[in-house]
Amino acid sequence: MFYLFNLGLNYNYISMPYTPLDSKDPPALNLDSPLEEFPTPLLIPTQKAIPWSKRLLPSWSALGKVSLFFFSLYLFILAISLMKEGAHGLSSLVQDTLKVNNAANALGFGWAMAYMIMSGSPVAATALTFFNAGLINQIQAFAMITGSRLGASFIVLFIGFIYILRGRDRTTSLGMGLLSLSVTATTYIPALILGALLLHYGILDHVQLSSGVVLHSIVDTAILPITDLVLVYIPIWGVFLLGLMIILLSFNLFDRCLPKMSLKESPMGWMSRLVYRPIVMFLLGSAVTLISMSVSVSLSILVPLSNRGFVRRENVIPYIMGAGITTFIDTMLAAVLLDNPSGFTVVFVEMFSVSIISLLILILSYSRYRRVLLKFVVLVTSTNRNLTIFMISILAIPILLLLM
Amino acid sequence: MRILIALPDITNIETTLNFASQFSRNKSISFEVLVITDKKHLPQNNLIHQQIDRILDRPMVNLILRVGNPIREIIDEVLQGKFDFLILNDFHPSLLNNLKLHPDTISEVVVKCPCSVFIIKGDAREVKRILLCDSGAENPILSRFVLQLADLLGGEEEVTVLHVMSQISAGPGVRGKQLRADANELIQDGAPEGKLLQEDMQILCCPGIHPTAKVRHGLVLDEILAEARQGNYDLVVIGAHREHGWQRFLLEDLDKNIIDAMDRPVLVVK
Repeated sequence: MFYLFNLGLNYNYISMPYTPLDSKDPPALNLDSPLEEFPTPLLIPTQKAIPWSKRLLPSWSALGKVSLFFFSLYLFILAISLMKEGAHGLSSLVQDTLKVNNAANALGFGWAMAYMIMSGSPVAATALTFFNAGLINQIQAFAMITGSRLGASFIVLFIGFIYILRGRDRTTSLGMGLLSLSVTATTYIPALILGALLLHYGILDHVQLSSGVVLHSIVDTAILPITDLVLVYIPIWGVFLLGLMIILLSFNLFDRCLPKMSLKESPMGWMSRLVYRPIVMFLLGSAVTLISMSVSVSLSILVPLSNRGFVRRENVIPYIMGAGITTFIDTMLAAVLLDNPSGFTVVFVEMFSVSIISLLILILSYSRYRRVLLKFVVLVTSTNRNLTIFMISILAIPILLLLM
Repeated sequence: MRILIALPDITNIETTLNFASQFSRNKSISFEVLVITDKKHLPQNNLIHQQIDRILDRPMVNLILRVGNPIREIIDEVLQGKFDFLILNDFHPSLLNNLKLHPDTISEVVVKCPCSVFIIKGDAREVKRILLCDSGAENPILSRFVLQLADLLGGEEEVTVLHVMSQISAGPGVRGKQLRADANELIQDGAPEGKLLQEDMQILCCPGIHPTAKVRHGLVLDEILAEARQGNYDLVVIGAHREHGWQRFLLEDLDKNIIDAMDRPVLVVK
């Protein structure tokens, strides 16, 4: 039985059991079972030789995946429409109860919400629907989206922490999670300041995109009847919750459409054995994540041929940086679907400012940055005390921000 | 065996010649010395000859004096003379020259030179302790190293074969024992790195060579530099891994980074 664990940065799901070709039922991930039942968590199935004639013909599996892709896209659009309508009913919760009224607590809100639903992209979409409904302003939406990514990068760390509680080694279990969190924090927090300035002075306000006529007509025909029906039978706050659940489902289904780019299946597997220029890995991380929309899937191509589940330190940091930019592509799609040009600007500013900060790091001080990050990972995992302090801090920070 | 000693920096002749002198005990090795300079700083041939005679302890060593671009002159000479080794002293071109023409002069020579190159940096001593960095890439440097240096070094040398594991676990569920293991553990486990080191040890089983396998975990460049300093090695040996074509633009030039940052002699084996 093979298990392909989430490799660390997918903000849409935690872990995904891998089903071998000859298995009919997907195995459930049972965290209560002894660890010995997971002998090699990143086992990669042996590739069987398939004649080219058969490869060229679309298999039922491929057709199924294409159908699933369109179904998940449909669910995504439906979810955005429901959240758009339902967001109007949450004004008292957001503004009065949670008091999300400045950038700091919007950041904390996005961060904490990503912890709760164990995913980042739905929270980013939520920020846009709140902005669209006028519950938060542009800078607050920007901060909430940033918070969603910070919260999402904690998820891998959390899984690693569970492994530690079950007796696994600290460094191995937490290394990638800490590294992804560190890269996210060190790029997104400076980008938050840069982006807030760009939004405040309206420098990129002209970068706007709204949904076209075709998309409008699709939404009107295929989505609006369902939305109207839901609005009749479910209270407005329930509409938002339903939308949130559907968007989680759509991301989950979307992940299942993606090819499992593990090494023996990936023509790029050999790449993991070499040390690449940082800018090459940065561009590669951006490009692969742009296509896959999933950081974990894009990261899996770095896993070496040895099936041991290792990635090179030199390669992984710029790759995470690149992936952290294009992972916003689904949020950008959500902005287009909401038909809110200012919302699109918010997402664009997020991508732009994270890109600028990442490139500055890569060009000006990459060697030092890499060393500091790796030392930080070692420091955190060196003792139980350090790890405990770190975990408490990382849980407390969003709550403190939310209370500001 | 023919060795070319290239001296693009005449202010630093003595260290390079001292390093080369340890090979002069082998009478089957012939030397030529190439001095490259500009028109303003033409050296006195007699003085250089005296230094060569004194340090190399060889009569009638051929001295070639060239004026011009160091890279071009060195490569031309190596190609014409069909040398087996090039010994090159560390030199820093003038700022103007550096900016305009030769951003990575030594690396450029190493890339273009068809034979193995010694780059003499820091305090050059008699080679007794050698650090050999094996990345495990195809075309391993070890067999080339043994073939080339067996004739060159006649004494008893300690050779440490270093492999740096720069990998970390890709996800929380990965079993990472090998990410912390030392060379012996990796060999016992039959890990890819262990197999590589075991093969290296077998190749190095020659009279006069005392091999040791070592594994370090961390960034490749940092760990090689740290090992060289901590182990106080007399020579660091690396393979010429410069890729060609599109790979040249994609891959990190680790050879160049090691040569630039190392504070002791480096041999790039080809």
